[in-house]
Formats: sequence, C-alpha cells, structure tokens
Amino acid sequence: MKTLSKARGACLLGFLLFFNACKTPPAPPEAARVEALGQELWRAGASFYAEKDYTQFKKDLKNGKEKLTQENAKYGWFRSYDSLRIEFRDIVRRGEDILAKIDELKTSKARACAAQASALMARVDRLKQMTDYFNENGPVRKNLSQAEIMLSKAETLIRKESYESVEEDLDAAARFIKRAEQSMTSLLGRYMEKGQLEKWRKWAEETVAESKSNGTIAILVNKLERKLTIYKKGAVLSSYVIGLGRFGLSDKLYSGDEATPEGKYHVINKIQNSPFSKALLINYPNEEDIKVFALAKKEGLIPVRAGIGGYIEIHGGGKDSLTRGCVGLEDKDMDVVYKSAEIGTPVTIVGAVSIENTILAEIKKFEKND
Amino acid sequence: MKGLTKNLVLVLAIALVLVGCKQPTQLISDTKAAIEDVTKAGADKYAGDELKKLNADLTAALDEVAAQDKKFFKKFGTAKEMLTKLKTDVDALKAALPAKIEAAKNAAIQLQGEAKTALDEAKALLAKAPTGKGTKKDIDALKGDLVGAETTFGDIQKALDAKDYIGAANTAKSVKEKAAAITEQVKAAIEKVTGKKK
Repeated sequence: MKTLSKARGACLLGFLLFFNACKTPPAPPEAARVEALGQELWRAGASFYAEKDYTQFKKDLKNGKEKLTQENAKYGWFRSYDSLRIEFRDIVRRGEDILAKIDELKTSKARACAAQASALMARVDRLKQMTDYFNENGPVRKNLSQAEIMLSKAETLIRKESYESVEEDLDAAARFIKRAEQSMTSLLGRYMEKGQLEKWRKWAEETVAESKSNGTIAILVNKLERKLTIYKKGAVLSSYVIGLGRFGLSDKLYSGDEATPEGKYHVINKIQNSPFSKALLINYPNEEDIKVFALAKKEGLIPVRAGIGGYIEIHGGGKDSLTRGCVGLEDKDMDVVYKSAEIGTPVTIVGAVSIENTILAEIKKFEKND
Repeated sequence: MKGLTKNLVLVLAIALVLVGCKQPTQLISDTKAAIEDVTKAGADKYAGDELKKLNADLTAALDEVAAQDKKFFKKFGTAKEMLTKLKTDVDALKAALPAKIEAAKNAAIQLQGEAKTALDEAKALLAKAPTGKGTKKDIDALKGDLVGAETTFGDIQKALDAKDYIGAANTAKSVKEKAAAITEQVKAAIEKVTGKKK
C-alpha cells in the first residue's frame, strides 16, 4: 500500500515537473510569420529585385532562428522571448518593406522595359527609312535585322514578366542599333566633312552663276537630297525627285561600282529613244575623273582589270529603281528635263550643299544615342 | 499494482499530448532545403508551375504551424502531414526534372529546325525574285535583312551548347518569325511588279 502511494506520488511529481517544463511561454508567433515572409520574398524574386536587402533579411532571419533555438533549449522556467519578439517584429517589418519595394520595382521595371523597347524600335524604324532612302543593304540592314530579332525576344519576355532576361535582350538590341548607326555614319561621313561640303557648294554656286551670266539653262543634281534642279538665267525653273545608282551616294571611281559620279559635266548627247524613255548622256569621265581613277589604280584601290566606265546618263524609267550610276527620273519629269536641255548644257552633280540637311541632322542624333 | 498502472497510463497519455506540442522544425528545414535543391537543379526554368505550387504548399504548411503556435494545446500533426506530403512531392519533382529538361532541349532543337527551314525558304525565294525595275531595291534590302537573321541563327546553337534551352527556344522562335516576315515581304515586292501572288 505504502509502495503504491510512493509510486503514485513520484508519478504525479514527475508529471508536474514535465508539465511545467512544457508549460512555457509561447514561442513568438512572429517567428513563423518571418519564415513565411522569407518564402514570399523568394517567390517575388527578391534575389533579383532587392538583392542587398534580401541578403540582409536572410542573415537576420538566420540569426533570429539561432537565438530562438538557444532560447528553446533552456528549461521552461528560464525562457523569455520578449527581446526575441521585438527582434522578429523588426525583421517582419523590414521583410514587408522589401516586398512593397519589389512590387514598386516590378511595376516601374515593366514600364521602363516597355519604354526602352519602344524607343529602340523607333530608332530601328528611322534607320530602316534611311536605308530605303540611301539604298543601303549591307551592314546597316544586317544589324537592324539582328536588333529586331532581339526586340522580338524582349517583347515576349515582357509579356511573360520575366524581367531578369529582358534587359540582356534590350542591351543586345541597343548594341546592334549602335553598330547600324556607326555604319550609316561611316557611309555618310564625307557628307559632313567641311572641306568636301565647301567644294560641292562652290561647284553649285559656279554653275548657278554661269547660268545667270550666260542667260542659259543649267542642271544641278544634289545626291543627298535626291533632287535635280533646272536653272534658267540663275533662277530655279523646276525641281524633280531622282533615283541614283545602287551605291549612288559614293563618288563613281570605276566601271561597275554602281556609284553616281560627282563633278562638273555637260550634256554631250540627247537620246530620244533610250531603253529608259528619253536620256541625256553626260561627259563622264571628265579630266578630273581620269586623274582620280589613275591615282586610285596606282594605289591599288580599285580592281586591277577595272575600267573607268562611262555612259552615265540622266534618264527616265522611274526614280525608285536602282540605276548603275545614272540619275533616274519619272518619265513625265524626264520629258521636261529633256526638252529644257541642249547639247552643252552644264550638268553639275554634288553630294550635298548644306550641313543643315534633315538626313545629316538625323545622323548627328546618333552621337546622342549612347 | 492497478493504481501504478493507472498512473503510468495517465503520465503516458499526458506525455503523448505534450509531445505534439513541439514544432516540426527539422521537417521544415529539410523540406525547405529540398525545395532549394530542386530550384538549383533548374526547376525554376523547366518546371516553373510545379515549383510555384510547391512553394505555395510550403507557405500553407508554415501558416498552419504559425496558427498552431498561437494555441495553448498545440497540435502540429496536420502541419507535419502537410510537410511530409510536400517533401514527397519535391522528391517526385526532382526525379522528374531530368526528363523535363530533356523535353525542353528537344523542343528547342525542334524550333531550331523550324527556324532553319524558314530561313532556307526566304533565301530560296530571294534567289528567284526578279531584280528588275521596281523590285531591285526592295530585294537587295531584304537580302541584307536575311544576313542578319542568319547571323542570329548561329546564337541558337551557342545557347544549346550552354544548356540554356529556354534561351535557345526563344531565339529560334524570333529568328523563325523574322525569316517568315522576310518571305512575306519578298512576296509583296514580287506582287508589286507582277501583280500576282506567288
């Protein structure tokens, strides 16, 4: 009987001790909230959008959990979570701040990416128009094509809200566009050289002055503006839009280069029934052309077997098709030019006469697109 | 003896109740580590939807733990079940991941083939396109575009070699679209002069 009572007492005492050990102050609920917050931050892409803050959060979480473990290891009566609760509350607050920051960042990132893609596309479109205008189908076109592919990829990612990869593709598109702009600048570089512009301007002015002093007709071709102007007695009679050679913006150097020559020429033949409606044959190559050709050949700048070329005309057949170096006009415009010109009519072909040209202004903008 | 047994049963019963009052911290750690592992193995790229569900389940389990923690008589049994099931699901995803990555690789290779076909079609059409008056300029410009698309095509293989199958697939898709656009533009240029659809 006595043994039974002792055993019962021991059990009850043991139970009381055990019960009290478990009857501890509750673990701070903030600890569980912090754990859940860590998950939310991970899902929200905190390591991408707020790397620094997220790293600190994880560090603080780890420290907090270690302290919690240490506190939990203490005997129930000696546990106190008061300071830990304050600490966890602070971590929760910071975690929630990071989540709010990520939300804002995502929204602004979406807007920024869309705006950047739109701006890059606008540059591509402008450059494409320029390639159409200048008949460029080499490095500019190639780089623009690559830029368009990158922009297409970026747009897909923007739709999927995968902003981590979007920036890479937008940067790649920007690089291709930059290369296209550099190629375009290189193509048109000599049109911005002061000395070259001066030379062309002088030819144009001399031609108009001659027309004025002689009271005669003169024809001025401006390659950059794609314009043919008829002067009579030094005043503008009429202007027409023209087409050029495939590489018309370059100065013709040899046969087959498909460039349109620059210089002071004159009409040497009027052809009524040309394959291109009517035609005016000019005296390319002139003395200057022959000198330049000889020098270029000597310096190995042109193919060994290349001749200097000839048969450069102003002819009809349309302004949109590519010539092999001739100046092309619509048939109805060619009718007027043909009628106005005589054998001996001066024909001056220049690259440009003004740096204020719209195209050149566009080229200058490239420098700002860095 | 009868009384001793009664007391022992009483203590045992209470102990059983109180054992349930411990948070399943080890199980939580193990499950989180498993999810991290499968993420590093590529689940975020190749099994994004499944990974999202697993994380949602983990959040639900942690919420259950938090809810029980607030009570006097804590019962973490449900939370443990949720975590145990979750761990099983994570392990299943990990086992299935190589097959998913292989499927992504095959899909990328398929798209690469389609991009090549589209490029070849554009190239063939450009070679046959009339380059007389009215088309030469457009055709020449489109030839320049094709060179750009063909250059970017090379990036697909680079991405495949780097095991970036999602990137490879995205590039292939964009190249294919560009080549198709070139083909349409060539047809439009031809139609402009011939007046016929080819």
